[in-house]
Amino acid sequence: MLRRHPWIFPASFLLLPLLVYFTFVILPTLNSLFYSFTDWVGYGTDYQFIGLANFEKIFSDRLFSNAIRNTAIWLGLAMTVPTLLGLALALGLQGKRAINTVYKSLFYLPICLSPVIIGIIWVWLYSPKLGIVNIFLRTIGLGHLATAWLANPNTALFAVFVAWAWQQTGLNMVIFLAGLTSVPAPLVEAAKVDGANTWQTLRKVIIPMLRPSTVVVLALTAINALKSFEIIWVMTRGGPFNKSDTLAVFMYSESFRKFKMGYGSSAAVILFAMTLIIIFLYFRQTARADELYD
Amino acid sequence: MTKREPPTPNPSPKMREGLQDPNADFAKSKRGESDKVHWARRLGEALRYGALTIVLILFMVPVYGAIVTAFKTQAEVSAGGYWTIPRSFASENFARVMDPDAGNLGLYLGNSLLLTIPASLLSIGLGTLAGYGLGKYRFRGDGLLFIFIVAGMFLPPQIALIPVFRLMNDIGLYDTLWAVIIVHTAFGIPICTLVMRNFFQVVPNALREAALIDGANEYSIFLRIMLPLTLPALAVLATLQFTWIWNDFLWPFILTQKAESRTIMVGILNLTGQYTVDWGGQAAASLIGSLPTLFIFIFFQRYFIKGLTLGAVKG
Repeated sequence: MLRRHPWIFPASFLLLPLLVYFTFVILPTLNSLFYSFTDWVGYGTDYQFIGLANFEKIFSDRLFSNAIRNTAIWLGLAMTVPTLLGLALALGLQGKRAINTVYKSLFYLPICLSPVIIGIIWVWLYSPKLGIVNIFLRTIGLGHLATAWLANPNTALFAVFVAWAWQQTGLNMVIFLAGLTSVPAPLVEAAKVDGANTWQTLRKVIIPMLRPSTVVVLALTAINALKSFEIIWVMTRGGPFNKSDTLAVFMYSESFRKFKMGYGSSAAVILFAMTLIIIFLYFRQTARADELYD
Repeated sequence: MTKREPPTPNPSPKMREGLQDPNADFAKSKRGESDKVHWARRLGEALRYGALTIVLILFMVPVYGAIVTAFKTQAEVSAGGYWTIPRSFASENFARVMDPDAGNLGLYLGNSLLLTIPASLLSIGLGTLAGYGLGKYRFRGDGLLFIFIVAGMFLPPQIALIPVFRLMNDIGLYDTLWAVIIVHTAFGIPICTLVMRNFFQVVPNALREAALIDGANEYSIFLRIMLPLTLPALAVLATLQFTWIWNDFLWPFILTQKAESRTIMVGILNLTGQYTVDWGGQAAASLIGSLPTLFIFIFFQRYFIKGLTLGAVKG
């Protein structure tokens, strides 16, 4: 439909949603930017405009650089582990066989659970004495590896990550499975007839064809990873010794625990900037993928 | 791959047979190969499903743990740990967490419903309006406007946390469910607009044109012709929005304080703070809090999964 319409019709449909969206999403986003230049404490209207002081301070804040380090580890793990696992599961379970449908449903199950509940359940799994992780390690004779996973500074971040990945894997699998339906079966057959083994077919045919899905998975996982707060808060509150304190947790504690809202806003702005970089890369990749496949 | 047979000086009976009927030989060799391939494939499949089953069992351990723990008495948990099958299926954990004088989850469940249902409906309603405006009308800047709205899907909630907290304080909605309803309505608009625009774009224009000729106006077309068609898309969005909003913790955690406006997820986390060693209670609370989304997952999984892929692949 290329004909243009009098603006009054689309406007009448768009006005209300745009108003709500602008007031409660866009305006607060811009406002955050504003607060990041102030020293607002979270109550009252008394605050000073302090320019870039928050940002100067934040880049010399040891808690902040610690949060950045943890976020980098978290992001690195998030982009690899659930992506590969989700891809492997999708490849193993593609097709409409009854058993595949059942397996798929069970792998999807964590997606519909709240991060709060996932966090609570995984806290028991990691419980030092009675948790199944340590029980399992002791049973197979690796009892010396058993530790208080969430209280041990060396393991806390990774332990929380595993719980997070438990949910993210299913989500990635959904996207990869959708992508696999667009890989033409004759192409895969042709590769096999030409003598390619399973591994070669996978590497040279299926994975290149899955490129658009892979880009989506990586972008979504990265964004999810950056903003994930709930599961970390539930499991460790960023501890022990801030070892699982990511940028999202840092932003919350500075703003709502220490009532440094201006300072917290600057952390939120940095988090937002990181998301923008991912979105930018994502759109560039999808544009490139469109060129490839159109 | 078929191995070529080495040339033999004396044609074997088989080859002679083959020369008489080339297809016979081909068929035979193919059958012979396919037996081998058949077994290799069988073995490959057995290995594949073996591996998948092991991963699945590992994957289901947390779910299993939550279910068996929820049905155990305190005594049984402290005596035998969480992982054995409960000796008697006890309902005392459920009773305790629902009891208004103990866990009080009934109140929080009600609050979550009072939040999730209106917020889902409102975000879907607004998304349908915006999706229709963008999917069925061409106007200057429509593409840009669409990107502007959909971009909201990627916003980390942290960027709006402090200003929304302040705004809700200023307009007197802080510590009410309304604050959370409004935020979820607004933050749901991008995904709902995306799905509905994509939906309306594929609805044939002939329907509209025909109705226009019959004298219908733009709004009656939307209400009488387009809306009834959107049911599948609305079902997709309903499952998605209900699940996200029900499961959300961050917004109610920031925007509410008193028990009367506490949602289920905040309530459950509070419970774990109060009863740190009450594993049975925590497990029962987790099951209760997951029931609505599990229900959707079990009965409307098709729509839910479709929504996930729509939101992901086209976004």
